[in-house]
Amino acid sequence: MRQLKGEIGVVAKADGSALFEMGNTRVIAAVYGPREVQNKGQQVNSKEALVRCEYRMAEFSTGDRRRKPKGDRRSTEISLVIRQTMEASILTHLMPRSQIDIFVQVLQADGGTRSACINAATLALADAGIPMRDIVTSCSAGYLCSTPLLDLNYIEDSAGGPDVTVGILAKMDKVTLLQMDAKLPMDTFENVMELAIEGCKAIANYIREVLLENTKRLECQRG
Amino acid sequence: MVGLSEGEKHFIRGGIAQDLRADGRRRLQFRSVSVETGVIPQANGSARVRLGATEVIASVKAELGKPSILHPDKGKVSIFVDCSPTAAPMFEGRGSEELSTELSVALQRCLLGGKSGAGAVIDLSSLIVVDGKVCWDLYIDGLVISSDGNLLDALASAIKVALSDTGIPKVNVSLSAATDEEPEVDVSDEEFVQFDTSSVPVIVTLTKVGKDYIVDATSEEESQMSSAVSVSVNRHGKICGLTKRGGAGLDPSVIFDMISVAKHVSQQFLSLLDSEIASAEAAE
Amino acid sequence: MSHARSARGEREELRRHLAVDSDWPRADGRSFHDCRPAFMQTGPTTAASGSAYAEFGKTKVIVSVFGPRESKKAMMYSDTGRLNCNVSYTTFATAIRGQGVDNKEYSAMLHKALEGAVMLHTFPKTTVDVFALVLESGGSDLPIIISCASLALADAGIMMYDLVTSVSVSCFGKNIIIDPTSDEEAWQDGSLMVAYMPSRKEITQLTLTGEWSDGKITNAVELCMDACSKLCDILRERLKDPSSLASE
Repeated sequence: MRQLKGEIGVVAKADGSALFEMGNTRVIAAVYGPREVQNKGQQVNSKEALVRCEYRMAEFSTGDRRRKPKGDRRSTEISLVIRQTMEASILTHLMPRSQIDIFVQVLQADGGTRSACINAATLALADAGIPMRDIVTSCSAGYLCSTPLLDLNYIEDSAGGPDVTVGILAKMDKVTLLQMDAKLPMDTFENVMELAIEGCKAIANYIREVLLENTKRLECQRG
Repeated sequence: MVGLSEGEKHFIRGGIAQDLRADGRRRLQFRSVSVETGVIPQANGSARVRLGATEVIASVKAELGKPSILHPDKGKVSIFVDCSPTAAPMFEGRGSEELSTELSVALQRCLLGGKSGAGAVIDLSSLIVVDGKVCWDLYIDGLVISSDGNLLDALASAIKVALSDTGIPKVNVSLSAATDEEPEVDVSDEEFVQFDTSSVPVIVTLTKVGKDYIVDATSEEESQMSSAVSVSVNRHGKICGLTKRGGAGLDPSVIFDMISVAKHVSQQFLSLLDSEIASAEAAE
Repeated sequence: MSHARSARGEREELRRHLAVDSDWPRADGRSFHDCRPAFMQTGPTTAASGSAYAEFGKTKVIVSVFGPRESKKAMMYSDTGRLNCNVSYTTFATAIRGQGVDNKEYSAMLHKALEGAVMLHTFPKTTVDVFALVLESGGSDLPIIISCASLALADAGIMMYDLVTSVSVSCFGKNIIIDPTSDEEAWQDGSLMVAYMPSRKEITQLTLTGEWSDGKITNAVELCMDACSKLCDILRERLKDPSSLASE
């Protein structure tokens, strides 16, 4: 596992925001809401809050610079993945007729942006005080040279081996996200996934620490 | 975008008229500036600038390219700005495009000079590697992370800091005998050349609220503006670019007055920024 | 290759003259402070509420104004009207087909130059669309679009505080050259554009690039304002008597 760093409250105007770093991968998440539904057409179920998510990569986030059109397929897919993962833990039924916007911005990409975005979004949602079932954390693992590897960086990721991204609800021990590309034998897959889940738990511990520290700081400020 | 009640609007306008703004500043006082360099290790140079609650990142990337036919003795610089939706929900999807283009164009106007290359912030001929064949293309990207007014000034100062942080790799050209062949270029990993950034200007935006002008307006104050003039001024007191925003017409004499006020303020802001750059470089 | 080089040499020569000499006939025979002859006409498009055509040397622009009409997009209620501006280039407007100049921001700039002059409160809940089409680009495109658009708005009977006219200047060395052609624009050291309401004596838009000293800005702005006033007189003539051909 690479060095983790979480920071809460990086965007002053947002309701909740966080910066999350996994090694060289660095993302910012900002949460706006719960607030009135802006576009009534998008509201499917008025008894539950509408969760929306947008993922964006900065122009300078990757090694080679190229201009990509906004809303390309990859960003759309990751936005959807993050939305579905976060929706699973948000208690949407407590906030009917409202919407929650999650915006994630990748400042630097060095593998595992999906996981870093989910972790950042969790911190930002917690900062915004949105009721959640549990903390969602995510981590990726791969299998290279017949060894399972945790938290792949860009070079390891582009080596072409299988890449498993897992998102879990830490305390409830439930998996909310599982993605894999390439193929793996069944028994190795179990090992790799086990490793990823362990990674998720380690991240969950770290996130809990960050949140606890933040709460203590807030308590201090109140006096 | 900024929802303000009549009372609040009145309070902001009244405060500005009395030279005491809502956050306790005078009319021509900036918010606290904080500067950090080297925030994006993958770029050749980068900086993060915070002006109160406004936060922007600028990165400079250099790539080898071909000079244009019109100016074979000059490198190319391009500036792009993107507004992250983290800064405000309205920047979601294509919502940021209009503002991004406006900011990019304003920055290009202020920093790139005329079409002949005169008055550009960086000496474009210093970017040339082989005349007419190889040059450095500088890509300057700005990203707005958190927005609380005065984005243009913050972006311009971030670009200034990022440029002073930029190192362009030294290049060894092995001259081949035949001139038509593409020259072989060897990019060094260790040696870097720094720019002379002393002539890079800063942008000072004067926002006109009522009869008075203020610098470094917050988004609440910007919502009350009738018009704003952004002036970019370099160290020698020369004006390098000017943009007017807001629809209301201005009397020519008012504009000239605003320019001279902006010139005066910019010199203070320049020295403030320079000391911040020095301390940021020392901290690294 | 040699042809290209000699052409470049010639241009360098001309540029040097423009920068150093106190007055030198420009490529089209004008002196430094002469504008190109302006030809303007109202009503080229019949389907529009108002329209205008302008021709300054090689630059040819047509502007149509539609409305005030119901806002197309389901937008929020607004007690003032909306002004929607769009500038586009034909594919044959420039020397190389489809390679328009950097005109992405022109729509926004046109909007900013005009919104201060249009009485938006006179048509609440509705939109006025201003569509500008550059048929041929021959330098000083944006100022001509702005002047032509204000003529078209007047032709459409949209209430305005004043006509907006616009003129740009280019800076070469120590000299200022008014109403530059596209060749001159490609070699300029700096440029300045003013959009001005002559009767109200107010500047609605001012942009500047390149390095300028204070005195030079003052000079250039005054030069522009003077030319704007003259151009405005032509516009007025044109509105009063649409049948006569107005040209300077």
